[in-house]
Amino acid sequence: MFKEFAKGLSITLKHLLPGNTTTVQYPKEKLQMSPRFRGLHRLVPTADREKCVACYLCPTVCPAKCITVESAENEKGEKYPKVYKIDLLRCIFCGYCVEACPIEAIEMTDAYELANYKRGQFMFDKERLLKN
Amino acid sequence: MVNLTIDGKQVTVSKTATIYEAAKEAGIYIPVLCYAKKLLPYGACRVCLVEVEQMKGRLIPSCTTPVTEGMVVTTMSDEIRKVRKTVMEFLLVNHVLDCPVCDKGGECDLQDLSYEYEVVSNRFEGEKFDLPKDEINPLIERNMNRCVLCGKCVRVCDEVVGYGSYSFINRGFETKIATAFDRGLNCEFCGQCVSMCPVGAILPRPFKFKARPWQLKEIDSVCGYCGNGCTITLGTKDNEVQTIRFNDKTGVNDGNLCIRGRFGYSYVNSDQKLTKPLVRRDGQLVETSWEGAMQAVTDGFNSAGDSVGIISGARLTNEELFLLKNYGKALGTENLDHSGGECYKGVTEGLKETLGIQASTGTFPQVENCDAILSIRSDFYETHPVFGMVVNQSVRRNEGKLTVIADKLGKFTKLPNARTLLHKPGLELNLLNAISAVLIEEGLAKTEGVEGLDALKDALKDYSADAVAAATGVDAEAIKQTARELAAAENAAILLAYGLPYTAYSKELGIAAANLSLLTGIAGRQGSGLYLCGEKANSQGAIDLGILPGANGLGAQQMLTDAAGGKLKALYMVGEDPVVSYPDRSLVEQALENTFLVVQDMFLTETAKKADVVLPAVSFAEKNGTFTNAERRIQKVRKGIQSKGEAKTDFAILQQLLKAAGKDVPVDEAAAFAALAAATPGYEGVSLEMVGPQGYVWGGDILKPETANLIPVAGGKAVDSKYQLLTGSALYHSGTVSTKAKGPSAVVAEAYIEVCREDAAELGLEEGDLLKLKAEGGELKAKVKVDRRLPKGVFFAPYHFSDMELNRVYSGQPVIAVEPVK
Repeated sequence: MFKEFAKGLSITLKHLLPGNTTTVQYPKEKLQMSPRFRGLHRLVPTADREKCVACYLCPTVCPAKCITVESAENEKGEKYPKVYKIDLLRCIFCGYCVEACPIEAIEMTDAYELANYKRGQFMFDKERLLKN
Repeated sequence: MVNLTIDGKQVTVSKTATIYEAAKEAGIYIPVLCYAKKLLPYGACRVCLVEVEQMKGRLIPSCTTPVTEGMVVTTMSDEIRKVRKTVMEFLLVNHVLDCPVCDKGGECDLQDLSYEYEVVSNRFEGEKFDLPKDEINPLIERNMNRCVLCGKCVRVCDEVVGYGSYSFINRGFETKIATAFDRGLNCEFCGQCVSMCPVGAILPRPFKFKARPWQLKEIDSVCGYCGNGCTITLGTKDNEVQTIRFNDKTGVNDGNLCIRGRFGYSYVNSDQKLTKPLVRRDGQLVETSWEGAMQAVTDGFNSAGDSVGIISGARLTNEELFLLKNYGKALGTENLDHSGGECYKGVTEGLKETLGIQASTGTFPQVENCDAILSIRSDFYETHPVFGMVVNQSVRRNEGKLTVIADKLGKFTKLPNARTLLHKPGLELNLLNAISAVLIEEGLAKTEGVEGLDALKDALKDYSADAVAAATGVDAEAIKQTARELAAAENAAILLAYGLPYTAYSKELGIAAANLSLLTGIAGRQGSGLYLCGEKANSQGAIDLGILPGANGLGAQQMLTDAAGGKLKALYMVGEDPVVSYPDRSLVEQALENTFLVVQDMFLTETAKKADVVLPAVSFAEKNGTFTNAERRIQKVRKGIQSKGEAKTDFAILQQLLKAAGKDVPVDEAAAFAALAAATPGYEGVSLEMVGPQGYVWGGDILKPETANLIPVAGGKAVDSKYQLLTGSALYHSGTVSTKAKGPSAVVAEAYIEVCREDAAELGLEEGDLLKLKAEGGELKAKVKVDRRLPKGVFFAPYHFSDMELNRVYSGQPVIAVEPVK
């Protein structure tokens, strides 16, 4: 019985040795996120404008109703989002918006450090989403 | 009737039905792209293919194949599915895939079918179209890259509207829909093509990129412009009416609308609308509270005693008019009138004296099956465009004979079975008398049970066809032919529009038309009718509810005359802008200056600017109630958006005023309707539950005349002047409200004087030149519009625009003698 006990404990002790810990020393250390990770959203820019054409599929599919889009016509007669806002306090990071987008204009980045001091800071408008 | 089997189901339908219609009736779904209920079968898209046992070996287009006895139809099988998918693939070869930016996305038939048939890839390859878009015109955007060539726009413009803007051009792969010479669209902008397009090839420009269909809340209501009473569906979002949605399931208009109905909604959202009550302090109108305004109104009316006049517009709901009438009683005045006062006398006095009723005798859909139609005083299309479409279909589809008695040519002049009796201005009555005379002379008149025949015979002596023909410049044979057609027709209709610009001979025309309806026997006959159609959405309701001068009361014109002379102390204008729209502007202005004036309106109109108190009211889209259209159809108006600021419905304002006067008031619109139904002749027993999606026609489809009196009327006199000016309603506008709406104003933004080509050449005028006209009472100037529908020496100016000050020279006369000034 003692033998089995020692055997088991040795495995435990082995894990205590340096190089065998699974704990990541966050925030000193950070993990490499999986490419499929669903973090903060990003609007994809093109040369002169956002790629988004304001088709309203993301606010339609969004289960948390956190996306606000207002479409308009620009000087070239193209459809563009005059307003594009995501309320991150409501967002559940399900990624449906990305899935619904017909032209891959919205992506989810690996940014997850989203804590902030003011409620207003959680409202991401078009400019902020384009910069991400 | 024909019996057939569709998908194992026994179906019995009329022998004129197609397989598609039979299936639809049986509740079996067959997909379609090019089919539309109101258009003739076409068979362009090949999506509706089905299998028919008796026609094995090929698939049959169900929308063009008539049913036959014993037919066995299968609407879905593996083969049908495969073929339909292939058809979809063919359609998608050239179709640009810009669904994300296409406003049709979400209600696109092509999108829905692609989804249904899982067309995710395409076995065929081809070039995507890259045709230029038509973005020049302000209302209809055409993007032919998205077109599937179903031809619905071509057909609706031709079959229903009768304008014929579109046609297919080129052949094969190059085929496309184009306008004349492939220029930009320049038409009536009724937007029928917009409503028909199954894809995003034709879209309403004012709604461009505004919202997705699924975001819109749909509210069925009634158009607030003319007396046709088209049902419209408001598409609202963010407390604004964003667009008018297509709906052919309710009402009488079959989804048809004109430019006003489809594109004239923007005034509802206007930020020019009044949001606070105003009172005049030290000569200036300043904002005040509702309490302050109400106090000012009550004080003003109290000090005027019973020397108050009330003039209402005819765009108030029945419920509001009912309260207004009660308020008149509370004030102790019988001076109550609506919209002009003189213009509707053809109904209230003309029809009353002859037929003993005060409304049209038939309903609009009956006109489609009429064999003979007589349209009096210009083209009916300009005043009631959607009723005009019914007339068009009667002529085009059912080979009805149309006669237009008019002083200018109209759209219907070009129709194959149409005849225009183009007369010198002001002589409509003479022609009507001549037709009556021919009927009597040739023994065609139905004189049984008709009173006053001898007196009429006597009076018509001077109106033989030949004499009238000589006086009016119309062919005598045409007059005789018209009379014969009307007498011979199994179903016939006589149409007469009334409205503010048509004050002259109003009563006389009503009587002459009624005489004719008695002599031809169409008044009260099944399938036939005499139609006197009001200009405004609730003109008929106002007459039904008795918004008319009492026994000792004054009519609108008399009120204004008395007010100008200082005999009337206060005026209450509800939804009316007499400074712009009533005859004799100077008199109106003087009347308004001399009285304590309360104006209740949406905008700070010319009239409101002169008021002592202005009460902010709201549009039809912000209220509940009912309108009664020109065929006596009571229809529900529903609130689509919340009113902005402190503006209130006329109903709420009148409730408050009645309370202030110490009267009991109905708690809401429904209670008011119950009360008015009990008190209004013809409305007895009508409840709001009976007013269904198609409305409720009081008096039934055919309103039987109560009396049959023929009354002689004297003809009109031609004006002896080289140049004459006519006034009237323009197709693009209705009353004065539409000038505040972006859609109609984008097409016709300002006043104009229409001149015929010969006159333009003679006077050296070109389109857009400024023309000055001198007439008794003042001068008139506006840009010239050169057209070919007017006879030589006749000008036409619409009455809708304030800037023109047309009513400086127009004082209700049938035709204005003018002199062009260099």
